[in-house]
Amino acid sequence: MGTAAIELDRVMANEGVLAHVEEFSLTVHGGEAVALVGANRSGKGLALKLCAGLAAPASGSVRVLGVDPAAASDEEMLHLRRRVGFVFAKPALISSLSVYDNVAVPLRYHTELPESAIRERVMACLAECGVEVLHDHLPAGLTMGSARLVALARALVPDTELLCVDEALFGLDAGELVRFRGLLEKYRRDKGLTIVVSVNAPTSLFTLMDRLVLMRDGRLVAACPPAEASRVDDPMVQDFFGNN
Amino acid sequence: MIAWTGRKTVEGVAYAADILFLGFLAFKELFSPARSGRGEASRIIVRQILFTGVDALPVVGALALMLGLIVIIQAGLALPQVGAGEFLAHIVVAALVRELGPLLTAFIVVWRSGTAMCTELGNMRVGQEIDAIEAMGISVVRFLVMPRMVGVIVALTCLTVYFDLVAIIGGFLVAKVTLTIPFLVYLEDIGRALSVTDVLITVVKSALFGLVIAVICCHHGLSVVGAVTEVPQQNARAMLNTVAACLVLDILVSVGFYVR
Repeated sequence: MGTAAIELDRVMANEGVLAHVEEFSLTVHGGEAVALVGANRSGKGLALKLCAGLAAPASGSVRVLGVDPAAASDEEMLHLRRRVGFVFAKPALISSLSVYDNVAVPLRYHTELPESAIRERVMACLAECGVEVLHDHLPAGLTMGSARLVALARALVPDTELLCVDEALFGLDAGELVRFRGLLEKYRRDKGLTIVVSVNAPTSLFTLMDRLVLMRDGRLVAACPPAEASRVDDPMVQDFFGNN
Repeated sequence: MIAWTGRKTVEGVAYAADILFLGFLAFKELFSPARSGRGEASRIIVRQILFTGVDALPVVGALALMLGLIVIIQAGLALPQVGAGEFLAHIVVAALVRELGPLLTAFIVVWRSGTAMCTELGNMRVGQEIDAIEAMGISVVRFLVMPRMVGVIVALTCLTVYFDLVAIIGGFLVAKVTLTIPFLVYLEDIGRALSVTDVLITVVKSALFGLVIAVICCHHGLSVVGAVTEVPQQNARAMLNTVAACLVLDILVSVGFYVR
């Protein structure tokens, strides 16, 4: 494992009345794959935003890729954002741009690559995600699974070091889930990508993970390898894995 | 009553401060030396000019023609009755070029493009598109507000010049049916009545209206928090506030330049 990519230390945060995390501590090492697991409204989505530096804690400390988002300058935050890819639960593609333009936006904005090089990278990334045939479509015409794969391509196309995926299973059919899993595996193996996902149901994705972080009511219940998770002595965990 | 007045005053000042701050940020981005996102911004500027300017040519042209016709016919028939027939050109310049041209063109842009911008940004907020843009490290002001502001300013200024030309020339040609003034004499009178200051003030007004329309409508679009039902509400507020702001600006500029 590399150095710590994410360090959350006794973090408390809330997002209105809908989500909160309390006394949440987590360290994710570079190249590690971690799943935040819990029922809806368990706080895993907010925890994921904290991991990506997209939400500010009320107390406690957060460091993402060595940067403290609360103390970082605008320049440092901009640099951090370029290194972190975030896939929202809703695909959040820019509705007025085609699939190709959506994926090209971060490259056009953050790099000075010529359009030919951007086209090459974008089309390669869309092909990896299996959505290259949709490159000239507008987001409104896509299925949820395709739109999420496009959002994944957009998150991966710059040289992302940390990938966060909210509700990783949402909208994906069986084939898309296999492709999604394969992509995470490939990027992790080839590029040392650090991966944090949130999920609300048991999934084959767990076999890719180094650790599952089990959450309930905004608190960490347990953090353990996937094989041990179903043995955690907690009613929520037992319900989650269908042991009760 | 006093508490209500105080609360409304504070809200009004805070609102004006928000608008000014957004305008300042957009201008800062316009003159920022950073190269990032310039290509994308240029694309949005061109698209905004096409939508706000080129697509509005027929409706602005029709309105200008009808309004020019009305003003020229009324002035052309009424002025000779009081022995002031030679002032037709002055009336046309004062009414159409100085006031109605910039103001009515701005209203058309508010109703067409202002509503569109506010709705688009509001829906983008609801669909988490703006969150995604921020998560990619892209400045929302640089990516969404500044290009729209530049596009609307350029388009509105060009549209106003177009409105004035159509109203003065087209309006007269149609009104010629009832008037006896020769076209060339009319044009010479217009040339004498129209000063460089008139043209400059029209351009300044249009640019200011464009700035106000873009910034207020973007502000309201971005103020949507999370529900689709907020979009039409913010749209209505944006329209009302933009029209009020344009009228106030028009009065200030006219009083500032013409009242001696």
